[in-house]
Amino acid sequence: MLIRITCPSCGIAFQVERRFAGQWGTCPNPDCRQDYLVPEPDSDQSEDPPLQLRSRNQVTVIEGSLVAEPELTQPAPEPPATPSPTSAPSPTPAPSPTPAPPEPPQETSGYDAEDAPSHTDGEHRSTDQQRHSPHSPSRESAAGDQPETSYPIRDRSLSRRQQRKNEKREQGQRRRFQIACLVVLLLGVLGSLVLRHFFPPNATVSQRAAAAETEQTAAQPQPARPQPASDEVFHNQVLPFLKKHCIDCHGAEEPMAGLTFHDVKSPDEVTGKRERWEKILKLLRFQVMPPEDHDVQPSPTEREAAVAWLDKKLFFVDCALAGNSGRVTIRRLNRNEYNNTIRDLLGVDFKPADDFPSDDVGNGFDNIGDVLTLPPLLLEKYVEASEDIVDRAILTAGEAGDSTRFVGDQLKSEGGRPSRANFVMMSSNGHVYQDFEFPVAGKYLLRAEAAADQAGPEPARMSLRLDGKQVRRFDIKGHRKPGEYEVQVEVPRGRHQVAAAFVNDYYMPKAPNPKDRDRNLAVRFLEVRGPLDAKPPESHQRLIFTRPDDKQTVEQAATKILHAFMPRAFRRPVDDNEVQRIVKLVRFVMDKEDSFDRAIQVGVQAVLVSPHFLFRVEHDPEQNDADAQQSGKSTTQPAYRLNHYEIASRLSYFLWSSMPDKELFALAAERRLGDRQVIERQVQRMLKDKRSDALVEHFIGQWLNLRNLDEVTPDTDRFQTFTPELKRDMVRETEMFARTIIRENRSILDFLDADFTYVNQRLAEHYGIPEIQGEMFQRVSLPTNQRAGVLTHASILTLTSNPTRTSPVKRGKWILENILGNEPPPAPPNVPDFEITAKANPEATLRQQLEKHRDHPGCASCHKTLDPLGFGFENFDAVGRWRDKDGDAAIDASGTLPGGETFSGPVELVRILKKSDRDFGRCFTEKLLTYALGRGLEYYDRCAVDRILDAVAEQDYRFQALATHVALSQPFLMRQPASGETP
Amino acid sequence: MSNINTNTRFPRRTLLRGVGAAMSLPLLDIMLPTRAQAAPNSTATPKRMAYVFFPNGAIMENWKPSGEGEDFEFSPTLKLLEKHRSDLTIFSGLTQHHGRANGDGAGDHARNAGSFLTGAQPRKTSGSDIKLGVSADQAAAQVIGKHTKLPSLELGIVRGRNAGNCDSGYSCAYSSNISWKSETTPMAKEINPKLAFERLFGSADAERGRAQRDLYRKSILDLVAEDAALLRRKLGKKDRQKVEEYFTSVRELELQIERAATRRAEVPEYDVPEGIPRETGDHIRLMYDIILLAFQTDSTRIASFMLGNAGSNRSYPMVGVKGGHHGLSHHRNDKQKMADITKIDQYLIGHFAAFLDRLKATPDGESNLLDNSMILYGSAIADGNRHSHDDLPILVAGSGGGTIKTGRYLKYDNNTPLNNLFLAMSHRVGANVESIGDSTGPLPRLDA
Repeated sequence: MLIRITCPSCGIAFQVERRFAGQWGTCPNPDCRQDYLVPEPDSDQSEDPPLQLRSRNQVTVIEGSLVAEPELTQPAPEPPATPSPTSAPSPTPAPSPTPAPPEPPQETSGYDAEDAPSHTDGEHRSTDQQRHSPHSPSRESAAGDQPETSYPIRDRSLSRRQQRKNEKREQGQRRRFQIACLVVLLLGVLGSLVLRHFFPPNATVSQRAAAAETEQTAAQPQPARPQPASDEVFHNQVLPFLKKHCIDCHGAEEPMAGLTFHDVKSPDEVTGKRERWEKILKLLRFQVMPPEDHDVQPSPTEREAAVAWLDKKLFFVDCALAGNSGRVTIRRLNRNEYNNTIRDLLGVDFKPADDFPSDDVGNGFDNIGDVLTLPPLLLEKYVEASEDIVDRAILTAGEAGDSTRFVGDQLKSEGGRPSRANFVMMSSNGHVYQDFEFPVAGKYLLRAEAAADQAGPEPARMSLRLDGKQVRRFDIKGHRKPGEYEVQVEVPRGRHQVAAAFVNDYYMPKAPNPKDRDRNLAVRFLEVRGPLDAKPPESHQRLIFTRPDDKQTVEQAATKILHAFMPRAFRRPVDDNEVQRIVKLVRFVMDKEDSFDRAIQVGVQAVLVSPHFLFRVEHDPEQNDADAQQSGKSTTQPAYRLNHYEIASRLSYFLWSSMPDKELFALAAERRLGDRQVIERQVQRMLKDKRSDALVEHFIGQWLNLRNLDEVTPDTDRFQTFTPELKRDMVRETEMFARTIIRENRSILDFLDADFTYVNQRLAEHYGIPEIQGEMFQRVSLPTNQRAGVLTHASILTLTSNPTRTSPVKRGKWILENILGNEPPPAPPNVPDFEITAKANPEATLRQQLEKHRDHPGCASCHKTLDPLGFGFENFDAVGRWRDKDGDAAIDASGTLPGGETFSGPVELVRILKKSDRDFGRCFTEKLLTYALGRGLEYYDRCAVDRILDAVAEQDYRFQALATHVALSQPFLMRQPASGETP
Repeated sequence: MSNINTNTRFPRRTLLRGVGAAMSLPLLDIMLPTRAQAAPNSTATPKRMAYVFFPNGAIMENWKPSGEGEDFEFSPTLKLLEKHRSDLTIFSGLTQHHGRANGDGAGDHARNAGSFLTGAQPRKTSGSDIKLGVSADQAAAQVIGKHTKLPSLELGIVRGRNAGNCDSGYSCAYSSNISWKSETTPMAKEINPKLAFERLFGSADAERGRAQRDLYRKSILDLVAEDAALLRRKLGKKDRQKVEEYFTSVRELELQIERAATRRAEVPEYDVPEGIPRETGDHIRLMYDIILLAFQTDSTRIASFMLGNAGSNRSYPMVGVKGGHHGLSHHRNDKQKMADITKIDQYLIGHFAAFLDRLKATPDGESNLLDNSMILYGSAIADGNRHSHDDLPILVAGSGGGTIKTGRYLKYDNNTPLNNLFLAMSHRVGANVESIGDSTGPLPRLDA
């Protein structure tokens, strides 16, 4: 079944197989490549349905030498993450329920990467804004003029021959189309002149100066297309650099670190050994290499040239091209996600995954598909957990409730001994008992069978007890006459002890009547029946909403139940085959046990152990396999858009660490999750939901390394106020603070310098904040001269300290890694990354000791950045208390950053850091995107990160804007097909 | 019907008490559980091996004995093992070459744990493409694991680190696992003694209806294995790897259920711990106990145990060491720090010695459990200050059923692959693998 399509951009007509309906296709005309949404086939095929488009700058396809005009006042293109300027060709409602396309994942802004490795942004952001907003409409109108211009459309389902044919036919139209493209191109090029910061994630603060320089040159007229690293520069500058400065030690003979440069001939060797060269780049950039004691040092210009070329060679991405969306490896639910998903799927609130082995961390997070493994131990835990879960979610008791009976030697006793016929005999006061797990709270019947040897004035008495407390006392009737005694009792859920006690022993061995000498009690069994008011848990009723009866068979009822349950568990529609395989299992259990509830339990278990539940599977759209195989190189395979259910899961696991809820499922079913506004609204809604606490706990907890506080063990002799409670308070402070930023949609820059925080009494005393009482946390304003933002939270200060003292190096490193996104290279081998002892001068302060670092050439390069950052926080001791002295020495919390800025004390340093808003924004965005995707970022993700940053910078880096633009980003909504995988 | 215990398999019901209750080991002979049916065609007492890893290296000058061969003197650190002199083989010269940078730069701690049992170079990646090699214990488990309920047992006392970076660009998977089932699948370790115990011996509750439960488990596993088989066809290469890993684990569990049905060890008399003890010492002791019980009941013959994750910065206040272990290990010849590290070394050796005491006191076949085992203790970093990976602190307790001539200090040429020792040990437990990691052949001179 084919759908007829006429590309509204270039006018070419072609047909697309029906199975592509609802997916994004690309116009087969290579000169057009308009993206459009394949409409749902109309019953009435007489007319081509209007198409939804998304724009794509055609910068890449125009031949010739278009040179951007340096008219900086011209309108800049929309930042790509804001609404797509190219909307549907006409206001005609789209044929499919999917409204206007969201952020065009392949749209580019004519981004010019020429200025890539440079630029600070602060200054530029403002001009960007100024230029930007007033002119956006003009671009829209330009785009709006396009509909009559037409592009051929390419689709995977079209044969190459067909494409060629189409192309020929379209040649006449091409000129028109080129004009339109030109318009788009111009806009794109202008956009490229809006100097975007392209600061590589690992550039140093000290590189800024160089960056600024390059920036000036970048303001000159630029070629229309961003240029990749040129071979010429390689041969003229980089090779000579290597020869002059590196080959001495890294040449043919006894190369240091096994690294050789004499054999480097071609620029492509750099990308061929990407990992190695990324390391080399970092060492050059941090000026670790060549070592300072090497005779010849490169001039700053030489170094910059080499660094700039390498950076470009390694990281250059032409954001104007259809970018690589990356491919997330299917993600196993991690422990948190498993717990939350079970909670939301079945409504049982316990945390089965807490006993699972910990999930390994990669790229700083524990939800990285590549790193999440599934060893046998974990599968064992999954199976066991599934048993626990269904036990709680589904009540197998019949209406009168289950009964469990402990007979004879199954009873424990004190003062009893086994007797005939399974009785346990108590000849003096004592009791028989057993522990019982009450599955739910409710009314239960306790029952015992007992018989007595009667003697003395009163009948033998038995007390039935729950947890040692009498529920009721019975007079035992008759002499040696077994009888059943029972009583109802309310029991809370959980493990309790039930007991039958003999309470009135009587022993008169001398009594004249032998029958009056000894009173004994014997108990044969204890039974628990219930819950009598068995109201199955809500999960049970929701799950088992129908049962087999006269009108339907077991299979029919099970099919209905599973058809309702499995799509939620698998987070997608299921087909009947999948259901029937579980129904067979249900039948199998029915045959064994004849309990429908039990059978459904086992069926549900199978669902919970299935790879479709445990993994978040994302399928490549079905395509002609042969085609895919043939295309071989397949880097040409375009990224595809995730289907609506997959997007629902991406959203829910990003923001909630859990499965999609009803609303998301409904939107997926209506195929509305391709709509930008819908996604925006969902992100807002989801962030308001309590489930978004998961984002605080897991994203913030890992970004700030809060979770590592567990392992930190300050010396409690030195820090006597440090208690486990205080440690918990510290984490709580930072979590509550972060939650405020998320919920109140504050700027993420508040992380750096917010003037408020949350404390309870204990923490307030720790901070020296007066007048806070009790355990409850309250929001307080911070005294302006000591603390501001998360860097001054006791949690962070403690986890970056050693057990006995502060570690300015650790603090500095932490800031570089987690705030500035500028991880220094690892310490050279055999030089510990902290702790230089002052053997020569044991009296030296820590600061003086550390300053020695910087006498050492191997250390100086990094430590001149690391140490001052750490020194700025020296006013806080190793558990985050304010101090003016360390021992007898006054604290010196002043410093000079490599860029020349000076500060004194933490608050001033924080203010300086805040000026690097773009660096912090980038760092935070990269972490958030990593977490959202479940994969490490690659160099090509830089385009997506830049777009997100551009968009949120205009919104003061507000958290919700950031989360929204992450959710709208290309790597979040799209995936490269498997055929593009590097082997 | 006189003894309430005779009818039930679970006398330890009455012993479910808290941690810290006195342990009832060594077990009275009369309480000894009957060993699970020995493997077919093997009437001999089985041999076991365990690998115990400690982080951050040691103060080698206090570790290394003096003398050589049978004629050696204990060092300050190893002195606590003096009592077991005749059970020990102490080594020098063994080297884990892949602990070294070999061009990968910093990250010696991640490589310490990663290479320790694998003899392979961890691929430096913090996320994608984790790759290492099959570890010595797993190589052996693949051969002899079928004889026991669990092919192998992996224990630790600290979870893997769960945020941030572990070591200089290496994924935390390398730092927190020494046991690797395949190049890409680390064997997660159990750190909760209660759960480890229940995994081996079941819990009283789980024992009810066990046959039926196992039947259902198998049906479920069959079904999901099919799911996985269907699914993997539709996936790309990397996704498929993940589903294959799942598939392998499903198969493994199926086999385990089958084996458990025919080879069930009775539950040993033991105070089952309630959870994870607060005190590190209690925790370490309990985990050693689990190894002992598993060996004693022949529930597994192969175990590994991490006394800390690589680069652990735990402090040891119980022996007066306030600083963090890793921090102190970069002592730069500071006497005080070296003394502190020595205290940690001794503390951990002390627990190991106590473990050997208990193994020795546990009868096994004609002799005792220690004699029939090989318990390797060591690290793939020697000097924590310099991160050296040669001349490692390695010793083996037990003679592997008389196949090692113990009571000696054996010196080998430096840079002899540590994996050669693993290979020799594996052969002694009946896993005749050809090589493990970078091994070049079984280590000679063990039996002569």
